[in-house]
Amino acid sequence: MMKNNNDLCADIGYASVNHEGEQLCGDHVEIVEKDDEVIIVLADGLGSGVKASILSTLTAKIISTMLSEGMALEDTVETVMATLPICSVRKVAYSTFTVVRIIANRRAEIIQYDNPAFILMRGGKSTELPATHLTMSGKDIYRFETSLYENDLFVFFSDGVEHAGIGNLYNFGWKRENIVDFMKTFYDVGFSAKTLSAILLDECFRLYDGKPADDVTVCTVRIRKRVPMSILIGPPSDPADCDKMMSLFFSKEGKHIVCGGTTSTIAAKFLGKPIKPCLLYVDPDIPPTAEIEGIDLVTEGVITISRVLDYAKAYIEDNHTYTDWNTKQDGASQIARLLFDEATDINFFVGRAVNPAHQNPALPINFNIKMRLVDELADCLTKMGKKLKVLYF
Amino acid sequence: MVNITICIGSSCHLKGSRKVVERLQALVAENNLKDDISLSGTFCMGKCETGVSVTVDGNYYSVSPETVDEFFKNTVLCRLK
Repeated sequence: MMKNNNDLCADIGYASVNHEGEQLCGDHVEIVEKDDEVIIVLADGLGSGVKASILSTLTAKIISTMLSEGMALEDTVETVMATLPICSVRKVAYSTFTVVRIIANRRAEIIQYDNPAFILMRGGKSTELPATHLTMSGKDIYRFETSLYENDLFVFFSDGVEHAGIGNLYNFGWKRENIVDFMKTFYDVGFSAKTLSAILLDECFRLYDGKPADDVTVCTVRIRKRVPMSILIGPPSDPADCDKMMSLFFSKEGKHIVCGGTTSTIAAKFLGKPIKPCLLYVDPDIPPTAEIEGIDLVTEGVITISRVLDYAKAYIEDNHTYTDWNTKQDGASQIARLLFDEATDINFFVGRAVNPAHQNPALPINFNIKMRLVDELADCLTKMGKKLKVLYF
Repeated sequence: MVNITICIGSSCHLKGSRKVVERLQALVAENNLKDDISLSGTFCMGKCETGVSVTVDGNYYSVSPETVDEFFKNTVLCRLK
């Protein structure tokens, strides 16, 4: 999820794994955007399974809704305490929570109630913010406030992260310092918040030896510069519009991606440069990429985009396939890295020409399929929080 | 020097252009013809119906993974004289 303001934006991504054997997660993350504010709530319900899920969902929903409607924090916390159902076993109504309010991508307020201390990496180093201690409804609450800088990386997590490895690989779980050291390795790589969350989660899953003894949730926030990018797929339905489409496309700032054989031929002609296709099959199912001077990436069309869409759908769900695309050099992996990790603002140029040679019923690449792929991909990118503009020709 | 260009566009890809490319690369290597034959790719030639589309010095041929050995023997080798 990304929220834009001037040249900075907050890239927000989270992921969870459930307590072993549970179908529901007892942690809940809620994100609400309003005007130039984003409110994130990470709640961890007591216990696991259905009960924990209800507690954390209620907590996160109540807090995010009330705060986004302008209620004071004190009233909000009191409401939560008064509303939560009381656990019949433990005789307490209990869900720990972290609330993050990002204002205009310039300032952040963080409120923590019994969740593990969050990590802030600023300039690559772990930074501690001064805390204000508050007592509300008899609960100890800590409040933090800070200005935001480019490349700030916040990692919020449920205690399932710290408990990973207890009695197994680490005797007492891995400590905050271990988590900081682990995340430091990925600070400069340029992974998106969603991918960073998935990386930390995977490590926890490994430490639990694949059998998490708690619900584990990670929510990462990266403060980053906006990165515009443009992607072109398909020739225009009226060939007379080729030059118009190309000059608009190439006038956009940022990197340019061109997908499709015919489309790249048109682009190459417009630029007056030759196409140099390569014959290297990095992935046997994805056609090779090509090079055109002045274009950052040239790939085949429908087959490649169809794979990118698979990655996009998995990314939105739990991002379990990021290891498939975050290092490979085939066209689809390269597009996934550019669009998912690098870009914040995407211009999607879609040409609606029907390729007569593709309308053969024996081929799974006809016009309707191509348009459906484009629509679904646009939908996924919006869900990732990208600011998307789709232009049809 | 013989120039062979293979279409790697969507339609030809689905019809097996990767197998054609890899078989031709293997045949060139087996016959020690690296200096005599240049292999390259191209995007759509506009002849998707008859793909996999291949050109040899500009002449069009329709090749499939099944016919690639025969094509190499009959069409490519005889050009190398």
